[in-house]
Amino acid sequence: MKLKSLVVTFLSGMLLSVSSLVAKPTEHLGDMTNNKNLKITRGMTVEAKRCVECHADKTPAHVDDWRQSRHAHVGVSCIDCHSVKKDNPMAAQNCPGVKGTKTYVSVLVSPKTCTKCHPNEVEEFQHSGHARAALQVAAKQGMQDLMHKFEGRNHPKLKNSPEATGCMQCHGTIIKLDKNKQPTAETWPNYGIGNVYPDGGVGNCKSCHSIHKFSIAEARKPAGCASCHLGPDHPDIEIYNNSMHGHIFNAEGSTWKYDSAPDAWEPGDYRAPTCATCHMSGIGELKTTHNVSRRLKWNIWAPISKLRDGGYETAVTDFTNKNKVTKGNPLAGHPDGSKAGRAEMEQVCKSCHISLHTKSFFKMADQHVELYNEYAKEAKGMIDELGKKGLMMKDKWADPAFKVWYHLWHHQGRRMRQGALMGGPDYAHWHGVFELQQDIRELRAIYNKRIKTGKIDE
Amino acid sequence: MKQEGNHFSKVALLVIVLIGVGIGSMGSFTTAVMVEKTSGEDFCAQCHTMEPMTQSYLADIHGGNNKEGLRAKCVDCHLPHDSLFSYLVEKAKTGTHDVWAELTYDKSKIDWQEKRKHAKHFVYDSGCLHCHSNLEEATMGSAKAFVAHKAYFLDKKKKCVECHSNVGHHNLGDYISKTGIKEK
Repeated sequence: MKLKSLVVTFLSGMLLSVSSLVAKPTEHLGDMTNNKNLKITRGMTVEAKRCVECHADKTPAHVDDWRQSRHAHVGVSCIDCHSVKKDNPMAAQNCPGVKGTKTYVSVLVSPKTCTKCHPNEVEEFQHSGHARAALQVAAKQGMQDLMHKFEGRNHPKLKNSPEATGCMQCHGTIIKLDKNKQPTAETWPNYGIGNVYPDGGVGNCKSCHSIHKFSIAEARKPAGCASCHLGPDHPDIEIYNNSMHGHIFNAEGSTWKYDSAPDAWEPGDYRAPTCATCHMSGIGELKTTHNVSRRLKWNIWAPISKLRDGGYETAVTDFTNKNKVTKGNPLAGHPDGSKAGRAEMEQVCKSCHISLHTKSFFKMADQHVELYNEYAKEAKGMIDELGKKGLMMKDKWADPAFKVWYHLWHHQGRRMRQGALMGGPDYAHWHGVFELQQDIRELRAIYNKRIKTGKIDE
Repeated sequence: MKQEGNHFSKVALLVIVLIGVGIGSMGSFTTAVMVEKTSGEDFCAQCHTMEPMTQSYLADIHGGNNKEGLRAKCVDCHLPHDSLFSYLVEKAKTGTHDVWAELTYDKSKIDWQEKRKHAKHFVYDSGCLHCHSNLEEATMGSAKAFVAHKAYFLDKKKKCVECHSNVGHHNLGDYISKTGIKEK
């Protein structure tokens, strides 16, 4: 042990001295010398220029991102997105540059601001499952208990860290402000896609188009999705890498074109689709959409897979119109139903593949989803029966039967279904159905024992 | 006899027509004056309920707080401008409603902050575009105006006030709280 720590100390010492050679002692991180003295005379008001020029000095990384953005090209700058009316709940003058002036700003920028120039994108987004990401977490008692009570141990001081460092970084949260109108550490910073802002805006454009560059190319690359769609419960980037699409992307994606105009990004710009191509892009006759649920046939994350015949997502309209925090609509999809959704997805495939390929692929993938349902229904039947007979433990997270069921649907069950529908054979099989046939045997054994003895005996 | 009778009825007809024209003109004139007199802040602000709206309006660019001192009248935004007919019908409808409400409603129970969320139902795009008639022809000379309004003129899915939520009434939210009218 001692030797190991000595080696580690030595190596980190080496690294530090190397980095101190690279960075001059007078510089600090974020010092982008090229734009520290940025002067702009084009297309901006005096006030707008002041923000850019001062922040080029104070927060050069922000301005360096911005000057590479399309926003900068059309003259949309700091003040256009960060200034709010004085009666906005987020309005503050914490920035010394605006203190005492008539200008009020907010560190938070809500989709209510983005929608002023991108109304269709925000509306489509709010029709999608992405939009419910934070509201559903707030609405589900089970999720609240898991984060604060079980993981956070109901600790008076520490119970919020599981949500802040984990869940909300992808899901988003209901952002709260302190008395200085600054977001609280428990709710911000985060890049969660379903954030609820104090002005009532729901959603988060910067989850995929990171600040302050807001690049379309970035969101079109698998990396834009991979920061959340990974891991044991929805290994979508792993599935993509496992698929032939990912194979080609990983082999030559660095040479493709990612910044063609919306609705004009077509095969030829790329040789295989990324996540965005199939789920969002205006390929061929299809129009682009920010409703990622639109082209889906099934819900393949719920305990039992059902067809997405529920129309649009409802969480945002319920929140905006009725002031209600709801679980939303898990069967949100194409407004004309799951058949229409699948038809659009097949249209994507047919931009490159023959129909026989597409039809046969989906025939077997759909069967794998239905096969999953067979496992899930049997397992859920056993869990429900044990519950009715008082044979489940009060603390479900201590109960081996519940744990097997949870992993069956939430982990391996999702891998099985998502692997099948996105062409990831290792996830459809070894990380999927193979695990399920093991789980169901384990659960049957527990079930039989409890029914036979009438006791929870572990 | 017959001729005289004819003569008399012709004169009578002429007199009746002239009286009709006279009354009609007077009526039209009075209506026009009334329509004009009841279109601005000086009339609308007579009701106490409208105080925060008036104060915030007077502090706003649209209410004269600009270099030229130009003012848009209440009805320039709050009545439709697509036809004279719809303008007058809406004026009669909302005018009658507001008088009725002022006299009979328990106004302490009105949630004005909540009402602001529905602004698109009582602020008319045709009113905005009546003055901002050059917006559709915006060029990249004003890149932001061009880009921001492109989606509006293409799809007309959103109303002006859905983005310009404070337009016409500077910090209306603060004025509503200040005057103690119920805030949520």
